[in-house]
Amino acid sequence: MSRSEISTQPLVVKILGGLALAAVGALTGAALANAIEGRNMPWADSLALAMAIALITIGVLSAITMALRPSTVPKGCGVLQIVVFLLAGAMFLAPMYASAFVTADTVFAGIVVLLAVQTVANVMLWRRADEMLRQVMAETSAIAFWALQTALFLYAAAERLGLVDTISGWGLTGILMAVYLVSSIAAAARRGIH
Amino acid sequence: MNNHLRTLRADRGWSQADLAAALGVSRQTVNALETGRYDPSLPLAFKIARVFEQPIEAIFSDTGA
Repeated sequence: MSRSEISTQPLVVKILGGLALAAVGALTGAALANAIEGRNMPWADSLALAMAIALITIGVLSAITMALRPSTVPKGCGVLQIVVFLLAGAMFLAPMYASAFVTADTVFAGIVVLLAVQTVANVMLWRRADEMLRQVMAETSAIAFWALQTALFLYAAAERLGLVDTISGWGLTGILMAVYLVSSIAAAARRGIH
Repeated sequence: MNNHLRTLRADRGWSQADLAAALGVSRQTVNALETGRYDPSLPLAFKIARVFEQPIEAIFSDTGA
């Protein structure tokens, strides 16, 4: 083996990288605010749009990272991660926007196909991942499950008591994805993955 | 658990990516091992020992013992 890659980045590169990511985050946030502002969207649609943009942005950033530093993720996992993120984003957008172009039945059939492809990609990702990535995925699931089942129970009890309004399945799905994303960030950060 | 992975790797002039390739894991995993954020499974610990040609106990130490 030889010294083929610098193991630690200079501070200036880290700062520039951080600034670049902050700029992408700011642009994404501004684009999302513009998309939602003035459209009088239901909160569930706003949340779904935010999730879609977040997922697609993560997918694009993952692609950039993979291109710049291929060894960052286990071999064969980079493309799968990108596919999973982009498909998840597309599946959040489709119910809101695709029905303007094709029938609801067609949109739903397309979503089923996308979900099937994403499920296969997820299984392949699990199989190709190294042990730490699997650990992160398992911890993400555990954190998200604990948070969601706790929140669901409290919400269900409050709803049964007539204290809160009923939330649609679409709204719950947006909340689920938001919790899952936060859980994945927490699980990854514990292992020093940024 | 403590380990001497960073020192052993540096002694050999290997990058994290080099070691990751030798172990069949990602560079992130090597970084997490070196910084103590992740403890390897037994199979990975044996693999690390083989790569560095040292016994496991020379690479890893249990701080709780």
